Amino acid sequence: MHRVLTVARSEFSSAVRSRGFLIGIMIMPLLFGAAVLLQRVVERQANSSLRRVGVVDDTGQLFRPLAAAAEAWNRGKRDIGPDVLDGPRFAVEQIAPQPDRQALRLTLSERVRKQELFAFVELPPGLLDTSGSARIRYYSAAPAFRELPDWLQRAILKEVVSRRFIQANVSPMVVASLLKPVGTDEFGLATRETDGHVREAQELDRVRTVGIPVAFMFVLFLVVVMTTPQLMNSVLEEKMSRISEVLLGSVHPFELMLGKLLASTAVSAVMTTVYLTGGGWAANRWGYLDVLDPLMIVWFVVFLLLSVLMYGSFFIAIGAACSDLKDAQNLMGPAMMLLMVPALTWTLVARAPQSAFAVGASLFPPATPFLMLLRLALPERPPSWQVILGMLLTLVATMAVVWAAGRIVRTGLLMQGKGVTVGEMWRWIRA
Amino acid sequence: MNAIHLARVSKRFGSHLAVSDLSLDVPAGSVYGFIGPNGSGKTTTLRMILHILLPDAGHIEVFGDPRTDVTRDQIGYLPEERGLYKKMKVRRLLRYYGELKGKPRKFIDDEIGRWIDQMSLGAWLDRPIETLSKGMAQKVQFIAAIVSRPKLLILDEPFSGLDPVNADVLRDAILAVRRQGTTILFSTHDMNVAERMCDRIFMIFRGRKVLDGTLDEIQSAYGSDTVRVKIDGSPAVLDALPGVVSVTDFGQLQEVRVAGDPQELLAMLVTRARVRHFEVTRPSLHDIFVRIAKPTPEELAHEAAHA
Repeated sequence: MHRVLTVARSEFSSAVRSRGFLIGIMIMPLLFGAAVLLQRVVERQANSSLRRVGVVDDTGQLFRPLAAAAEAWNRGKRDIGPDVLDGPRFAVEQIAPQPDRQALRLTLSERVRKQELFAFVELPPGLLDTSGSARIRYYSAAPAFRELPDWLQRAILKEVVSRRFIQANVSPMVVASLLKPVGTDEFGLATRETDGHVREAQELDRVRTVGIPVAFMFVLFLVVVMTTPQLMNSVLEEKMSRISEVLLGSVHPFELMLGKLLASTAVSAVMTTVYLTGGGWAANRWGYLDVLDPLMIVWFVVFLLLSVLMYGSFFIAIGAACSDLKDAQNLMGPAMMLLMVPALTWTLVARAPQSAFAVGASLFPPATPFLMLLRLALPERPPSWQVILGMLLTLVATMAVVWAAGRIVRTGLLMQGKGVTVGEMWRWIRA
Repeated sequence: MNAIHLARVSKRFGSHLAVSDLSLDVPAGSVYGFIGPNGSGKTTTLRMILHILLPDAGHIEVFGDPRTDVTRDQIGYLPEERGLYKKMKVRRLLRYYGELKGKPRKFIDDEIGRWIDQMSLGAWLDRPIETLSKGMAQKVQFIAAIVSRPKLLILDEPFSGLDPVNADVLRDAILAVRRQGTTILFSTHDMNVAERMCDRIFMIFRGRKVLDGTLDEIQSAYGSDTVRVKIDGSPAVLDALPGVVSVTDFGQLQEVRVAGDPQELLAMLVTRARVRHFEVTRPSLHDIFVRIAKPTPEELAHEAAHA
């Protein structure tokens, strides 16, 4: 055991003493946050620019109300809910109808291509007929941008319907009051306290119900991504620098692997402490300290341990099997794909945490630590049997991966100068 | 007492039999030379002694203990393929290697101080390995092998790549280790080193033991069939003489292996060339090595066919 601890101490010391660790521990969350922020800013920037639309109003009556609707929209006025100064802005330009419609369409299309207009729209005379089946014709080079045609349809429909009511001698004011939309306040679920007292449902707080659970999952993800691939580099460096054989003269390959895993777990613990302390401070600052449930911290630690052991062993095995960086990068692909499963599926799990997909994905051992943690942190917690089953499956998978990695390390560390195939690794495991 | 006892040890890798039925006893306190051509099973044998590999058959004991996973704490190892952590400082690296052998920090620091002084590396103790020259790095690697004061030191090609000055420093260090009672097993291709430094020599060829004994015993077994000759004119004249088995031309001197009586050879030689030097001697270790490991004509033909 002293050898395992000696390896662990040395590896831990090398990891936390490096400048890269200190920079990484600060930079990674900043980069992560910056990426999210940048996405938001770019999205908002791209979305908020002014879209000019040419309107060929064959009815002769709809352009003016449409222009008024655009002005109201740009002021933030929405049909439902409070005013929002966000999203795209629209400007309408009246285009006089011409007898040669084809020539007009070509001219307007050219203006779209020159980016003088974003799109143009034709409003046929039949739109105002109550029995008519006329349709709005919308022309654009950017069909994926749905906000403009959707807004046009809503604004024109509102005006057309209003005119139809007038034609039917029904006051639009009355209709408007009759059709006044109903707002929704969202709540969580009521619960019964241990003393039998019923606790009223709390008004839904997106930070509390979604933001913090997702943050829990991503802190775990970040820590695993930052620590475990380093193990592959460490083993590969020892192998390429011919250090492995010196070490194997003193320690068993499995002890070497365990020492490295222990060090990686310790590094992960340091990072987790830093991030959770920071998170705790932020939670306290904004009144969310109560969400740092001690039980969640326990689950976090359990899943952190399992995921570091599982992915760490995976990466150690890759490092031991390969003779150079290129080989290692080829083999890293599958491991990274497994690691990306939770990053790609968490939104589906967060939207429907009890769905068959969410249950299945959170019972898939490589994803369990992340997705089960997310489900545990969401308001609608998974049943205990799922949590226990997920943990047991992950534990078995982790033990299997650690064992298989030990077999690969035992043979791989002494192999030099030749690339390895998955088939060979499988033979080493079975040997 | 034997430091190492190997009894009928075999190791196979797939279809290749790396070590076959090998038995060996290395007396404690001796310097044992381990020679053999590349691929003959030397490194495999060393790795089995160190518990890096396990034998398929046979029995290994180190200082009478068959638990090689336990006894390796008493073994220092300098492998042929050397490597050090480039970013690690010398002191930290030596402590790490010493602690892996289960020695306390104080003991290791004392040993580091002693050897660093002897190797004149004091100024580099707190510098990263990557700042050292190749010679210095090799000396650090040697200290790493002995910092735990092992009872058995295994050196695989310890002098390869060293300049004469550093080779002398390392040789003195090896002798100093020996004086403190450590058994030394070293593998080498340098026959001169093996002849000069080893109490006993062991040769392995194609996984089997082919030589084992003192230099004197080995040379005696090969008889006095070697003659060192210096003649005026072309050494080609030697090839034509009856009884000459082989001629090795060293430029200034020719070494001739004779099948019959060397006196008859001398009598014939003086009739054909002016002889400046004629010395009947025993074959050198180099010569014995070449005699054993030289490929047969069939092997050469096979190699040529597959080239």
